[in-house]
Amino acid sequence: MDKDTAIGGSHDHFPSTQASLLEAAAAGLPGEALDRVIALYWKPVYRFIRLKFHKDNEDAKDLTQGFFAAALQRDFIARFDPAKASFRTYLRMAVERFAASQHAAAHRQKRGGDIEFEPLEEQTIATESAEHAFEREWQRQLFSLALDDLRAHCEESGKQIQFLVFQAYDLEDDERPSYAELAARHGIAETSVTNYLAWARRRLREFVTERLRGTTSGAGELREEMRRLWT
Amino acid sequence: MDLSDPVLDHLRQVAGLPDLTGTRYELEGEIGRGGMGVVYAARDRQLDRRVALKVLDVALAGEAQLIARLEHPAVVPIYETGTLPDGRPFYAMKLVKGARLDRYVAGLPSLPERLRVIWRVGEILAFAHSHRIVHRDIKPQNIMVGEFGEVYVMDWGVEAVAGTPAFRAPDARLDQRSDIYALGALLQFLLPASAPPALCAIALKAMSPDPAARYPDAPALLADLERFEQGLAVQAWSEPLWHRVRRFGSRNAVLLWLLAAYTLVKSLLFFLRNH
Repeated sequence: MDKDTAIGGSHDHFPSTQASLLEAAAAGLPGEALDRVIALYWKPVYRFIRLKFHKDNEDAKDLTQGFFAAALQRDFIARFDPAKASFRTYLRMAVERFAASQHAAAHRQKRGGDIEFEPLEEQTIATESAEHAFEREWQRQLFSLALDDLRAHCEESGKQIQFLVFQAYDLEDDERPSYAELAARHGIAETSVTNYLAWARRRLREFVTERLRGTTSGAGELREEMRRLWT
Repeated sequence: MDLSDPVLDHLRQVAGLPDLTGTRYELEGEIGRGGMGVVYAARDRQLDRRVALKVLDVALAGEAQLIARLEHPAVVPIYETGTLPDGRPFYAMKLVKGARLDRYVAGLPSLPERLRVIWRVGEILAFAHSHRIVHRDIKPQNIMVGEFGEVYVMDWGVEAVAGTPAFRAPDARLDQRSDIYALGALLQFLLPASAPPALCAIALKAMSPDPAARYPDAPALLADLERFEQGLAVQAWSEPLWHRVRRFGSRNAVLLWLLAAYTLVKSLLFFLRNH
């Protein structure tokens, strides 16, 4: 499979308190709510389409773009019923329906009306892995956005050193430095490293919560998503 | 920012841990997860003792107040409630040393030991119901058997809990009779395959789909259990005649043996006198 897209990557820092999706829709701001949804879900949707429908990078990008454009036109958020499913499930199922219909239409055009069926077993495996990838990508994007928020917050409030300590320790892909190494590197006490990390993690959690609050229907769904995220 | 899988997992782990900065507690590790939050083992630095720290999800802080109303030996006492720096409510409580009921059963306790657990759970339910408190989620994972055999019922009824499928009554709204259903399901869970039919009948009566057909309250169920333990007929089961005779026999074995001995001696004397 060719390389994934970089679209949907970087986003601006969010304001600190988000209205829930339904509050935003009720206040007549569905466009703003959809912006938040796109920021969080563009990559998960793209990954899902790539895996589920075996699309290459460009086709998956077009379909993802097409899905959100259609969502914008079809009052997507107002039609969401939180009693039936979480917003994340609602969105994934809508993507699946949209991409399936587009996929089928493309095949009809290519094959003069013939419909190609994948073997059932292969289809099931693909479905499971696509759904897993969708959830994983949702987590990844949620944390990426919250990290952008944290970085912006640190820059605005003069806490760059806190972010640097956090970045060097918690975002390290390979071997993490010791607290003593970090303290020496930044000329601070070791206890400050502990405090900076605790502070940054707490703020990260708050930003994650805010991002989730803005893309869920209310307190109940937010709680469920939080539980799912930290489990 | 593109996060690798290991970094993402690390962030989920560290950002999920409770921030105990500024509290008297020092985190030791996670003990378990329930419907309402996560329980950690922690050390209380001021009193130098280990405690269980339950960190709740947002806006679910009612449980501590509810437990505080339930002063009973089967309810784990709460030491303190508070809010963590990250905004999550928590409460500290006694750290119970023992095993969860599902693990306790794996040690194959005797039938009387199993029934003793039901007694303790039934008693605390009766007490809670008298205070108009419904548990809503009685199941083996919410019951602890302490190292001295004491029984604790955890995770007291917060409205958000909807029960656990195998132990949840099919009632539209969970109330005291739903707890009776769960108590019956718990009894069924505890009974070994060779359990007497009278005990199975008690469990099934408590688990009747129709709430009106269940025991009206926990004392009524315990009274039937007591009848079983005394060798009497239980309300839940209309036993066949042969079973009634056998039960009568085993309950009055000494009397029957004395009667048989008396009859034998009398017959012997009669025989000797006439010959």
